[in-house]
Amino acid sequence: MQNLSRGKISLLFAISIAVVLLFAALIYSQYGRAKPSIKIGVLHSLSGTMAVSEAPLVDALRLAVEEVNQSGGLNGQQIEMIVADCRSDAAYCAQQAEKLITQDGVQTLFGCWTSACRKAVKTVVEKHHHLLFYPLQYEGLEQSPDILYTGATPNQQIIPMALWALQHQGKRFYLIGSDYIFPRTANLMIKDVLLAQGGQLLGERYVALGTSDMAAVIKEIAAQHPDFVVNTLNGDSNQHFFRALKAAGIDAEKIPVFSTSIAEVELAAIGPDLVAGHYAAWNYFQNVDSDENKAFVARFQQRFGRDRVLDDPMEASYIGVKLWADAVRGQGSTDMALIKSTLAQQTLLAPQGIVAVDYDTRHLWKKAYIGKARTDGQFEIVWHSAQPIHPAPFPFYRSRAEWLEVQQALPGAGP
Amino acid sequence: MNRGFKMKNISLVYRFVLWFIVVALLPLASFGYLSLQQNETALRSEMLNRMSHLADKKTLQIQTYLAERMQNVQLLARSSLVEAAMADLLRAYTHHRVDSAEYRSAEKPFRKNFAAYIGEDKDTLFYDVFLITPQGEIVYTHEHEPDFATNLLSGPYRDSQLAQAFRESCMALGSSISSFEHYAPSGVPAAFISAPIIREGVLLGVVAFQLDTQRIYRVASDNNGLGATGETVLAKLTGAGEAVFVAPLRHDPQAAMQRKIDLKKMAVPMRYALAGQRGKGVEIDYAGKQVVAAWRYLPELRWGMVVKMDTDEAFAPLRQQRKKLLEALLALAILGGFVAFYFGRQMVMRLRNFARNADEIAQGDLSKRVNESGRDEIGVLARSFNRMTGNLQALYRSLEGRVEERTRELRESEASFRQLFERHSAVMLLIDHQSHIIVDANPAAAQFYGYPLEILRGMNVSRINAQPESEIHQQRQQAITGEQNRFGFYHRLANGVVRAVEVHISTVNYKGKSLFFSIIHDITERKLAEEQLRVAAATFETHEAILITDANANIIRVNRAFQDITGYTPEEVLGKNPRILSSGREGKAFYTAMWQQLLTTDTWIGEIWDRRKGGQVYPKWMTISAVKNEKGETTEYVAIFSDISERKQAETEIRNLAFYDALTSLPNRRLLLDRLHLALSVSARSHHYGAILFLDMDKFKVLNDTLGHDYGDLMLIDVAQRIQSCLREMDTVARLGGDEFVVLIEEVDANAEEASQKVALIAEKIRVSLATPYLLKGHEYHSSPSIGVCLYKGNQESIDTLLKHADLAMYQVKDSGRNAVRFFDPAMQHAVETHAALESDLRRALPNHELHLYYQMQVDSENRPLGAEALLRWIHPQRGMVSPAQFIPIAEEGSLILDIGLWVLETACRQLALWDENEQMRNLELAVNVSAQQFRKHDFVETVATVARVHQIDPARLKLELTESVVLSDVTDVVTKMHALKALGIKLALDDFGTGYSSLSYLKKLPLDQIKIDQSFVRDIATDPSDAVMVQTIIDLAHNFRLNVIAEGVETEAQLDFLKRNGCRAYQGYLFGKPMPLDLFEQHVMGLINRVGG
Repeated sequence: MQNLSRGKISLLFAISIAVVLLFAALIYSQYGRAKPSIKIGVLHSLSGTMAVSEAPLVDALRLAVEEVNQSGGLNGQQIEMIVADCRSDAAYCAQQAEKLITQDGVQTLFGCWTSACRKAVKTVVEKHHHLLFYPLQYEGLEQSPDILYTGATPNQQIIPMALWALQHQGKRFYLIGSDYIFPRTANLMIKDVLLAQGGQLLGERYVALGTSDMAAVIKEIAAQHPDFVVNTLNGDSNQHFFRALKAAGIDAEKIPVFSTSIAEVELAAIGPDLVAGHYAAWNYFQNVDSDENKAFVARFQQRFGRDRVLDDPMEASYIGVKLWADAVRGQGSTDMALIKSTLAQQTLLAPQGIVAVDYDTRHLWKKAYIGKARTDGQFEIVWHSAQPIHPAPFPFYRSRAEWLEVQQALPGAGP
Repeated sequence: MNRGFKMKNISLVYRFVLWFIVVALLPLASFGYLSLQQNETALRSEMLNRMSHLADKKTLQIQTYLAERMQNVQLLARSSLVEAAMADLLRAYTHHRVDSAEYRSAEKPFRKNFAAYIGEDKDTLFYDVFLITPQGEIVYTHEHEPDFATNLLSGPYRDSQLAQAFRESCMALGSSISSFEHYAPSGVPAAFISAPIIREGVLLGVVAFQLDTQRIYRVASDNNGLGATGETVLAKLTGAGEAVFVAPLRHDPQAAMQRKIDLKKMAVPMRYALAGQRGKGVEIDYAGKQVVAAWRYLPELRWGMVVKMDTDEAFAPLRQQRKKLLEALLALAILGGFVAFYFGRQMVMRLRNFARNADEIAQGDLSKRVNESGRDEIGVLARSFNRMTGNLQALYRSLEGRVEERTRELRESEASFRQLFERHSAVMLLIDHQSHIIVDANPAAAQFYGYPLEILRGMNVSRINAQPESEIHQQRQQAITGEQNRFGFYHRLANGVVRAVEVHISTVNYKGKSLFFSIIHDITERKLAEEQLRVAAATFETHEAILITDANANIIRVNRAFQDITGYTPEEVLGKNPRILSSGREGKAFYTAMWQQLLTTDTWIGEIWDRRKGGQVYPKWMTISAVKNEKGETTEYVAIFSDISERKQAETEIRNLAFYDALTSLPNRRLLLDRLHLALSVSARSHHYGAILFLDMDKFKVLNDTLGHDYGDLMLIDVAQRIQSCLREMDTVARLGGDEFVVLIEEVDANAEEASQKVALIAEKIRVSLATPYLLKGHEYHSSPSIGVCLYKGNQESIDTLLKHADLAMYQVKDSGRNAVRFFDPAMQHAVETHAALESDLRRALPNHELHLYYQMQVDSENRPLGAEALLRWIHPQRGMVSPAQFIPIAEEGSLILDIGLWVLETACRQLALWDENEQMRNLELAVNVSAQQFRKHDFVETVATVARVHQIDPARLKLELTESVVLSDVTDVVTKMHALKALGIKLALDDFGTGYSSLSYLKKLPLDQIKIDQSFVRDIATDPSDAVMVQTIIDLAHNFRLNVIAEGVETEAQLDFLKRNGCRAYQGYLFGKPMPLDLFEQHVMGLINRVGG
């Protein structure tokens, strides 16, 4: 070749250039367009009374979003997370939802903690036929085509816990809860099941949210000496309750307390020493022994710090993003109707195990776990369901109409 | 030469074909490939979507089927039928055996109803139905298989999936689907759906339905829309990392519920499905085939599902397309190749003929011609070629004739050149490049080298080269390349003499050989001359100026140094007489003498002052020599000179520095000592007094620090001049450094008195002169001198002593307020020395325990001891007792007083603490004097507090005595501190009251407990009425201010009497006891108390 005349070399050169340019043009026409990011909205309280509980959820969401973006995004597009502060105010949160949907053009919403917040946002989401992922365990008795519930229904958390307590602790039980819809509804279901199993209700007490005076309740518990207590208290009251319990000399060996709203984050806040030996039920504990969970905890702590803990609502938030991202990837589109129909059949290998969206109820099939609090701020898992449990927002033994009627009749059910 | 691939070596025909393929076929193939690629992507994604869609459909189908069955069960559980059946059958079951007629009759009405639920014939929905009591008794089954009438909590089937579904429904009061397992009573795999029967919140039992394989397979194996190779695969985990297919496989119909497979060996899609994932992709299936697959997880049954189709089938259209494209490309290539070959050949045939004919012409047959037919480019080329061949033929013929002519001409020319070579007087050689043999030489060469011609021709040139070969080699190379053609060599002649030669070399071709044609010039003489010139020129340019004139003294040449020294350029002086340089300092006689010497000895050396061009006169050292020619006539004068002005200046400077102060030009210490020495000797002879004044400017350092050294220096110069103006010529003023001056006044007077008077006058004059303001660069500055004077006579005292005395006197002035004159006085010296000795002894007094506290009694009017004043005593090992009046001022000059004061305080407190243990001493107060310096210390109060606390004394028993000088220094601070002391409980007394200038208003402000009447008043109260009034007044004053009052220095009964009469109730003095050492004091106190008590 070295003897090729200059003219021929330049001709060959020109041809190669032409071919390369042609290919470049072809590739550019296919892949060259820059794609805008996909926006998602986050509705959590970063200020006000709920901020302590809700702020960690934003971290869990952020971890999931960053993981999706790092693995190439969704069909070549990056996810952009817009976080709105709900200020612990349900009405304000609904306004933010409206703004995220109409002004920011988000593809989906993740958020809410309290039932009140969910119900307020539900109205907005349903008005726009939009989509909300709700990450908390709740009282059930709700279903919406526009909401995907990644938290537990009572039959996935409370009922197994109450039954396990009955089998392992005895038949005499005592109910204590905060005075609002979730504890009232939950206790209704607990009574249904435990009484049908021959349980004996010794007392049922409700205190206002945030109450610190537990003297009367503790006195009653000490007098009745139940085999176990089911605790549906929420918020700061838990701390006062456990402190008073300890002060009265009632320890976990004598009367174990089964709580529905104490996860790792709350355990750290109350102080593990006060709660150690008592029980809690969730669909996820940081202590779950699986490869997926260990990797998940490691990723989270690497991103947010070694001292951070994970709990059920955080994992549920994380699951939400993953489910949605899988649906968008699978469809190669963000079309709302397509995504919703795909979501209804979505499954995922989550940190807690396999979760699957239930086609009928748009809740998740989840495993139930019961954990015993340890002094190191973690739960020792004492029982878990063999398989993911079917979500039943409306337990079978009453019709939906009956359920709603019963719920309406509950004191504190609200309008 | 590399004969690799070359386009030029390929026939034109093939090149046509090659280019056709490159230009036409390659892009076509590329486009074909790209479109294929795109189709494949599209098809792939379409197939994947289709699989995904089918999988979703299938999932939904299964879910719907299961949801419907679940509803069937729930409906039944809520129906009145089941309620009734439960009641009736339970009754029959508990009271009768299940194979009894009673049970059968009870069962009969319900069988029909249950049969309806199960469905009929081929449309059956279920395999079996069960009624179970809350206690686990199966009271009814439709099939009556072995499980009938067993207990699900304790019976043989308590671990079956039916038992599991029953328990779950019981517990959670919800419907449940069991896993799909082999069910022993039926002998086939089965799953169960159960629901609780609840009435009024009471659990009556559980109803369950059995789903069998047939019904599940029917749903699962529906391969609608999956093509020939499509398949739905269902599998479930069995635990322990194993999985099993739950429905028959297309490639393995027996696999259902039979073969357990390690999960790790499972096909990838199913592994994903069982892990709960949902997805699609091209993967390898269980049969090892590549498939397009979608995988799903069914939460109800915990099954993994894979819907797949072989890629062979899925991507079949693509393969067909690819095949067609390849075929088309091949056909196109063959066709195009043929066309290119045909047309190329047509063209190339004519070119080939052309080439053959042209080759024959090139062999030399110029009569040949090529085929010229055709009008195209080849035809035109052929015609031109033929014309060119014709022209070549004609040209060739004419050339032959001209060659002959030129040959003859050349021969003639060569002969003439030969002649030139032979007869030329220049030495010429022809030398062979390689062998260095002289090929030819001319007669001139033979003559020069001294060899006969025959020998010279054929001689190696190295025989005449006087330099080593290595030196010549490089020059020779340069000659060959033509880089240089003139060289300098050394050649050896036959007689051995070496000559420097310049050789012009050119290379010529002679008879096929390359030769050097060298022309040689002898340059030996020239070279020598050049050398001398160079040396002369270098010598000429020295740093000494050289001036050359002709015999008539006109300047003909000067060197560079001349210009540097005189400032004249050569142009300005050439042709002129050196007279223009003269300064006019030397007279005519000088020059006459100079010329006289020059003319007689031909040389002159000496120092002469000249003037530079700039007008400056300078000394120079000059040598003039006359240069003579062979005849002895003077042709030139050469003058060599150097500038010696700097040297002269330096000499002066050195002399000055040694004896004079650079700043003021006054004599320095060295010269002063010299002169003093002299002055003392003179005085010894003349017996006259002289004086030494030691003088120092006050606050000179302040000037230097504030305005800078420039100003200080200016002032010192001024001071020097002022002192000098006050003195006689013969007196010496010297500066010792800094602002210290010494004045030596000699020979004042023989009478000491007179001498002092005179010296005092002079000194005073100097003082006044130096005390007038100074004007420094426009600043007015005030200063004054301190002058110490010391007289001398003869050699009585050494110079050092005298200077020290003057210095001492000056320091006395400084100490007493500056700006004055003072004479040295021997007493003064003694005082100073004593002072210094005492001070150094005092420093050692404390560590050597030479200080002691003496105690002087204070008593009340009943002569009872109230306490004591602690008084400091110094018992010096040599001097004995030293008075406090002597050493306290010395201690107060430095900080020694602080250490001593602290020691007194410590000792006093320690004593108080000791007294505390003694019944009789317990109530004594102890008064301690506090010096001003001590009291002024910022931490004085803390120190007292600490000491009091350390010794645990009752603060009320410690009394601090302050003098008025303490109190008057800084009233605010004093009052604050006194209040602080009072707050500690310590008592405060004002000492020596009445001697100072205490104002009454201060007295009012001070938180005092006691005032002490000074002994100077007490001493004379009995005799001096004014003192008596004073003491009276003080006592009244104290009473008015509600202060205690104590009188000190009470020595007589009369004094005591007066004091008692005037209301003073406390006393101290010799009358009651002198200050005494501790042991004596203690005895004394005991005695007193005992006497009083007794």
